[in-house]
Amino acid sequence: MSFLAPLFALGALAVVGPILFHLIRRTTREKTPFSTLMFLEPSPPRVTKRSRLENVGLLLLRCLVLALLALAFARPFLERVLPGPPPGTGQRIVILADTSASMRRETLWADARAKIEARLGAANPQDEIALLAFDREVRTVMSFEEWKKTPPNERASAAVQRLASVTPSWNATRLDAALLQSIEALDQADESLQDKREIVLVSDMQEGAQLDGLQGYQWPRGISVSVDPVSAKARENAAMQWLSESEENDKPGEEVPLRVRVTNAAESKREQFQLRWQGAPAGTPAIEAYVPAGQARIVRITKPPTGATALTLSGDDTPFDNTLYILPPQPAQLPVLFIGADADEDTHASLYYLRRAFPKTAHQNVEMLVHRGEGAVPAYQLQQAQLVVLGDGSADAPVASARQFARDGKIVVVPLTSAASGNVLGKLLELPSLATPEATVKDYALLAQIDFRHPLFAPFADPRFSDFAKIHWWKYRRLDTAALAGSQTLAQFDSGDPAVVQVPLGKGSVIVFTSSWRPVDSQLALSSKFVPLLQALLEQSSNLPPQKAQYFVGDEVPLPRSSQPLAVTKPDHREVPIATDAKFSDADQPGIYTVSPGTQRFVVNLSPEESRLAPFSAERLLALAVPLRTTHETPVETARREGRAQAVEIENQQKLWRWLIVAALAVLLLETLFAGKLSRTVSGSTTAST
Amino acid sequence: MSIRNLELRARTVVEGFWHGLHRSPYHGFSVEFTEYRPYTPGDDPRYLDWKLAGRTDRYFIKKFEDETNLRCHLLVDLSRSMTFGSTGYSKADYSRTLAATLAWFLAQQGDATGLLTFDGAMREYLPARHRPGHLRQLMLALEKPAEGRSTDLTAPLRRIVELVRKRGMIVLISDLLAPIDRLASALGLLTASGHEVIIFQVLDPAELNFDFQTAARFEDLETGRDVFLEPAQARANYVRRFSAHLEALRETCQGLGILHVQVSSTHPLETVLFDFLKARADRGKVIRRRAAMT
Repeated sequence: MSFLAPLFALGALAVVGPILFHLIRRTTREKTPFSTLMFLEPSPPRVTKRSRLENVGLLLLRCLVLALLALAFARPFLERVLPGPPPGTGQRIVILADTSASMRRETLWADARAKIEARLGAANPQDEIALLAFDREVRTVMSFEEWKKTPPNERASAAVQRLASVTPSWNATRLDAALLQSIEALDQADESLQDKREIVLVSDMQEGAQLDGLQGYQWPRGISVSVDPVSAKARENAAMQWLSESEENDKPGEEVPLRVRVTNAAESKREQFQLRWQGAPAGTPAIEAYVPAGQARIVRITKPPTGATALTLSGDDTPFDNTLYILPPQPAQLPVLFIGADADEDTHASLYYLRRAFPKTAHQNVEMLVHRGEGAVPAYQLQQAQLVVLGDGSADAPVASARQFARDGKIVVVPLTSAASGNVLGKLLELPSLATPEATVKDYALLAQIDFRHPLFAPFADPRFSDFAKIHWWKYRRLDTAALAGSQTLAQFDSGDPAVVQVPLGKGSVIVFTSSWRPVDSQLALSSKFVPLLQALLEQSSNLPPQKAQYFVGDEVPLPRSSQPLAVTKPDHREVPIATDAKFSDADQPGIYTVSPGTQRFVVNLSPEESRLAPFSAERLLALAVPLRTTHETPVETARREGRAQAVEIENQQKLWRWLIVAALAVLLLETLFAGKLSRTVSGSTTAST
Repeated sequence: MSIRNLELRARTVVEGFWHGLHRSPYHGFSVEFTEYRPYTPGDDPRYLDWKLAGRTDRYFIKKFEDETNLRCHLLVDLSRSMTFGSTGYSKADYSRTLAATLAWFLAQQGDATGLLTFDGAMREYLPARHRPGHLRQLMLALEKPAEGRSTDLTAPLRRIVELVRKRGMIVLISDLLAPIDRLASALGLLTASGHEVIIFQVLDPAELNFDFQTAARFEDLETGRDVFLEPAQARANYVRRFSAHLEALRETCQGLGILHVQVSSTHPLETVLFDFLKARADRGKVIRRRAAMT
């Protein structure tokens, strides 16, 4: 018989307790009061032979209880050989190589390669090894299948050869995803290798590595993780991060300072750093930044010199993250074309309110183009315009231009200002018979049913903003939507007549307001809904993707819709062709990317997480229940660990301790009965004697 | 002792005693004594027996009437050592009953009875009186529990000497388990002030024989000290020393002219009362004989 926790057997020494109690009980327990001790002399406590013999049965029972308990805690088991894996079976190992941007430091990557090569070299012929490289994504350098296909003596060299082509990227570290994918790969192991699966992680274990995905993850049995860390000598690192402008700075015309956060590592000894624009004329003073160790400071930079797009930091030991690319935000040019005869300053006309609905902001600049003539709209204006509003009295030629505009995929807005406006709409939709008679409105009409799922009204979907009942509509024109093929009513008046109708036209569409925002027709122009509504129209028409000030390496960059094939020029001057309407997903290095044709540029920077270089402790992995294994384990330690695991397994199967506890309880019961009987006898005899 | 009420207990004893007394050969004995003396000028006219003067036209002084009525003080020891009892009741219970019995008996005879209970210090004191309700007060005082630990006879006895100026009888009920020299000096105080002293030494049978069976730690009720004892081993020595103590006490009492009655707490009270009266009568004879001789 062996014991899993033999130290607990020492508890059996507690039997000394009952023996002692049995011996000295008579001197310590009973006290007899007596009137005076004047005539008495103390006699030394004598353990008579009789007293020991008297309770020897009880003593034995008590000792037995303690011994049984001690034995149960020692977790005994009968040794036998478990049907273990046959000797000589190998392991199934995934080697995870960190190729994130932080591995570009010093000789980290060379160190990591050396470690991986050593590991590959030490592999048994029975081992199954896969080599994965990870940063933001996981790439298979050599899969299990490829390993198995390769002849055993060439496997290691083949893997090393493939590893030679791998270099650290500029991406962030997503350690969680890499570990999960490794588990997936290991899960397809044979039955025989189920308990011999291992993930070998070769990484710099930087603090910025993402581990959130492992939160609450249930690790499969039999997989262990051993970490083989590589570390850099330089501990000092400062990093920069470009912060986007806050909303308060959203004022047109004002010089908005750029805000750059400079972070200094906790271990750093230096506190003074210099920021310089790349390509700035010689003699330009550097921007000084004082950042104490472990803290961050925000540096405001007023204006980059013309042409400068990169800020460099000097003063630390780790240069890989010392360049920050910056493009000051440029407002988008979004011209709106108004076709009609409205005078500029006529407060009763539509144009007056339209001009004021698009204020100039830091993000967009809306220029109002007005076409009043009877001729066709010039082609350049049509090309520039992002939205067309068709007013009263438009002639045939401009209407035809608007039709073409809609067919090209944009939106034409037609407010019906009078019953005659129906003619213009009819011309636009090429439905000459279309009539829009004036509706009879008693007092005023209200918008009753609004389709908040439509992009036009989507900004108002929130119940806080969805109240349109405050807008009174004095007049409107009735529109027979049955005559408009494919039309969709976006809003209705309380009478059930359509208020806003979308009619598809070519690639684009026509939005018809059966009333208008002129004061004679409605209160719309004076309400808080007017500006967001027109802004939604403009956004829908121009279909510009939301622009971010900067992207991080690996992000997908949305590109504007274009009829022409687009191409993106990367910072290293390689050109990547993009399919129409697609997103650019090849931002694999920091720098300025240019979209052609056109002049749109965007900035890709290194993820700020990648600059948090301090190595994290194993506790962080242990806290996420990652079954860590120390890499430096001697064969003796391995044998000991495996022996112990086997002992645990056998003990778990036999569970002898349960029987011992049951036996202890039984003896305890016996002892209670016996002691009860004994005390009754004693008290009986005492009464009799007195 | 099975009767809970002390007064009832005392009355039961005394009444039983009276019944027995009528059949007793010592019928007619009384502690009452009255003497008339012819009036001589200079005597305090307060003590003139006016009733007698009215009846006989002669002047007699009732001078000694007051003195001749027995003034008895019962001194009851209620210290911790008295709480010992191996018979189901303690020595203190027995002593209380004995005191109550004596008080009742004396009250029946019209004698004034006082009470002083004590342990380390004086607890309750009632001056000797014979008036309605006094007996009841006395019973209540007897029933009050004592809290002190030690016995110190000297202080209460000194106090009673201070308090009781008139000579009378002092009955001390105690176990007298104290060093003999201290007892002797205390008792000497009483006799020196002219009181007639009777001691009832109440002892438990276990104290007399030390018939404990099992070895145990014996705890001194007064000092709290405990010692481990094997009774079989300690018994002989104890009995010898205890007997010596009793003998010494008896000699001391004899030397001081004190009537010493040793009472086991298992003795019936009637017997004790009878022994008391008999001893007193004998003693009276002795004293009278001595007086006659001188």
